[in-house]
Amino acid sequence: VKPPRFDYVAPASVEEALPLLGEAGTVLAGGQSLVPMMNLRLANPELVVDINKLAELDYIGAADGRLRLGAMTRQATLERSELVRERWPLLHKAVRFVGHPQIRTRGTVGGSVAHADPAAELCTALIALGARVHLRSKGGARAVEASDFLLGPLYTMREPDELLVEIEVPEQPDGAGAGFAERARTHGDFATAGAAAVVAPDGRAGVALLGARPAPARAEAAERALADGASPREAAALAATGVEDEHRRALCTELARLAIEEALA
Amino acid sequence: LSGRLVGRPVLRREDERILRGNTRYLDDIDPPGAAQVAFVRSPFAHARIGGIEVPEGLEGAVRVITAGDVQGLVDDLPVQSIEGGSVSDDGHPVLARDEVRYAGQPVAAVLADTRAIAEDAAGAIEVDYEPLDPVLDARASNVRMSHWHRVGGDVESVFTSAAHVVRASHALPRLAPVPMEPRGAIASYDEADDLLTVWVSAQDSHRQLAGLAAVLGRPEDSIHVIVPDVGGAFGSKGAPAPETMLVAAAAMLTGRTVKWTEDREENFVASYQGRGMEAEVELALDAEATIVGVRARVWADLGGYLMPTTAIPPHTTAMLMCGVYDIQAADVEVFGMRTNKVPTGPYRGAGRPEAAYFLECTVDIAARELRMDPLELRRRNLIRDFPYRTVLGWTYDSGDYARCLERAEELIRPERSDDGERVIGTGFGMYVERAGGQFETADAELLPTGRLLVRSGSSPHGQGHDTTFAQIAADRFGVGLDDVEFRFGDSREVPRGVGTFASRSVAMGASAVAQAVDALRAKCEAVADRLGGGPSLADVAEAEPGLRASARFESDLVFSSGAYGAVVEIERATGRPRVLRLVAVDDAGVIVNPLLAEGQVIGGSAQGLGECLVEEATYDDEGNPTFASFIGYSLLTAAEMPELLTEFVESPSPLNPLGAKGIGEGGAIGTPPAVSNAVADALGGIRLDPPFSEDKLWRALREPGA
Repeated sequence: VKPPRFDYVAPASVEEALPLLGEAGTVLAGGQSLVPMMNLRLANPELVVDINKLAELDYIGAADGRLRLGAMTRQATLERSELVRERWPLLHKAVRFVGHPQIRTRGTVGGSVAHADPAAELCTALIALGARVHLRSKGGARAVEASDFLLGPLYTMREPDELLVEIEVPEQPDGAGAGFAERARTHGDFATAGAAAVVAPDGRAGVALLGARPAPARAEAAERALADGASPREAAALAATGVEDEHRRALCTELARLAIEEALA
Repeated sequence: LSGRLVGRPVLRREDERILRGNTRYLDDIDPPGAAQVAFVRSPFAHARIGGIEVPEGLEGAVRVITAGDVQGLVDDLPVQSIEGGSVSDDGHPVLARDEVRYAGQPVAAVLADTRAIAEDAAGAIEVDYEPLDPVLDARASNVRMSHWHRVGGDVESVFTSAAHVVRASHALPRLAPVPMEPRGAIASYDEADDLLTVWVSAQDSHRQLAGLAAVLGRPEDSIHVIVPDVGGAFGSKGAPAPETMLVAAAAMLTGRTVKWTEDREENFVASYQGRGMEAEVELALDAEATIVGVRARVWADLGGYLMPTTAIPPHTTAMLMCGVYDIQAADVEVFGMRTNKVPTGPYRGAGRPEAAYFLECTVDIAARELRMDPLELRRRNLIRDFPYRTVLGWTYDSGDYARCLERAEELIRPERSDDGERVIGTGFGMYVERAGGQFETADAELLPTGRLLVRSGSSPHGQGHDTTFAQIAADRFGVGLDDVEFRFGDSREVPRGVGTFASRSVAMGASAVAQAVDALRAKCEAVADRLGGGPSLADVAEAEPGLRASARFESDLVFSSGAYGAVVEIERATGRPRVLRLVAVDDAGVIVNPLLAEGQVIGGSAQGLGECLVEEATYDDEGNPTFASFIGYSLLTAAEMPELLTEFVESPSPLNPLGAKGIGEGGAIGTPPAVSNAVADALGGIRLDPPFSEDKLWRALREPGA
């Protein structure tokens, strides 16, 4: 498992990085997925653009009630953030399911979203929270809803010349609770299925599932049911409708129930 | 002071060096100028090779080696026979000639200055494969590579007159051994002295030496094998590997030192696997629930070729099909079938887990059909007098099976319930395992300082020889642990041994150590008597330099045994299993070091539990491995380990001076039948084969009766 030959560049700023991106350039953030894929020769980039020197993308901040996460924020930093734990507890709960501590020390929030693994806990939580993804290219900048951004397994709306720079999470309603539940074959393994939920006292809710669709996805029927006063069990039963495999449907339903109950606890 | 250390939980004295990183594993050995090897491996499970095209001027490659280049220089790997049975001549070729029989089989080797360059070049070599239909199911195969059939007692008549006949089929999947350190070898050839030196990550040096001598057609004294620190093997580094043979041949062809460090992907696809057996078992019982006969047909999925030891585990399974029970008639037949998968071979347990699983699950089915307590059925049939010769021909040396079962029952606190959300069941599994056998050697020397140096033909790869063997040597020599030093693993330094496998190191290797040390002590005492005045060992060494004694210890097989219990909970909503408690009661004779013995039980149980819950080497319809990374193949973590209680019953073996048997594999043997029987108990008698995944259990829970 040695990677094939590739060129390597480590720009010092976003401005320097943007012109390097394109069909040939692959972004290296925490390297927890890209490097193994290169070693297994499943990824053969011509040019690796290492963004680890971009300190300007390593921040956690709140402005106008919104959480702003720089793309290079390490998952471990997110996990330890008091701000996040207090005001966006779903992210704190979800990130603890990402791999093992060693992986979270290197892995980044932006990398997790840009890589779009179908079992990614952070993508699932960000969808439930109604987060937006900020992208920049040398031609300009745009923002997209996380639920639109993720198109399929390892497949997003990001164009090759775009850099994911920030994730923005809206303010949560007062008194909203959060719950995250998942199943994996073993602790720290890729999840088989999972559910993220934020529920406000008035019933406004965000629910997203992992493992129900090809990519993490919002469970809108469950959200509407909660807004209409449904019980966690009733809402969960709607979350996984349409999942073909019977066992997977049962599993997603149960995990949705656990996440919603935790959010309401 | 005799007896001071044996029986005490002495901490592993090798651990400080290991934990500080002062070890020397194969990849830590970096001879200057060595060429690195990457293999071209078959992407097809079964194909004919039309030709191999090596592009001109392959960048950076020192040499490309194909089967044609080593023709006449290497033979296929030798195949070990099985007693009373037959094996075919399907020895594994070093490199594929005109056919590949599994995905991952080595087809060519590329030597280059770095592994990365070697991999680039390997990717550029074009092999013309003509794909053939693969055979992936042992029962669908029509090529038999091993066969064994034995009938003991009057089987026909006991089955005809039986009050009950119970029939069951069971299957155990193929498992990957996954040692922390993958395989690897380094070879260098000195033409002037005609000496081939091979460093190899292996379980012991002498089986590698014999394999190299046979494959290369060289006398053993022209080969020097050095086994450095080894990061685990679980059976997979016992038989010599085709890759090791290629590395040796490449060193001789090129005159360069050649190094191969296996990566994880190669280890998954090309290292021989364990299990992969299925069986149809019948038990005949009389009106008093005495098991009067057993019939078993066992199919072993042996893979594309026979590794030297591929035929051994199914034979062991067959010989143990009477288990811990006094059964007077047995008819057992084993079919070792060729399939288009990597070969199988010994993996922790090596045939005993299969026997215990096949028999113990059938005993539970019998108890359910007879509406009897499975423990009562077992108690009625246990062997109670030793030595005991089974109708299949092995002689169990000693044991107390009833005591093991009694303790397992007391410790497990059986539980059975269904509250609508979770079902809970309890199961037991017993085992008897062959251990020891053949011979082992040791050489004890009094150093000028008065310290004791022992060279052992047995060799460690995680077992803790340096501590347990030293406890025995120190006691018998009448010195402290620090005054004893051990050497292992260098074929030119240690006496010729057999090897570290089959839970044999203490019973065989340490018995040889005990005898060599006893003999040296007698020599030292004779010198001391002559000198008079109570001389120190250093005085003795000065008066008579070079005092040495060696021993070669031989014995028949010894038989460890045990009883395991498990309590398993299954969640109705999702099928998620949780093993709530596991109890391991093992009888390995006299225990030298209870701490290390318990460590072996814990490790073996974790592997046995992994086999129950998550492990399975899966292949798609075309025979491509779909498990070949840690994404596709899970190992349990500490988080999945249940509460585990261990206990030892000590029935000394009469066959060796230590009274010892073996403890390396009991956990891997006893855990699967106990967990499987607990799962069946929780499911109201519905039988599944491992791994007991959530979806399988969830579907079973929806069947009537669950």
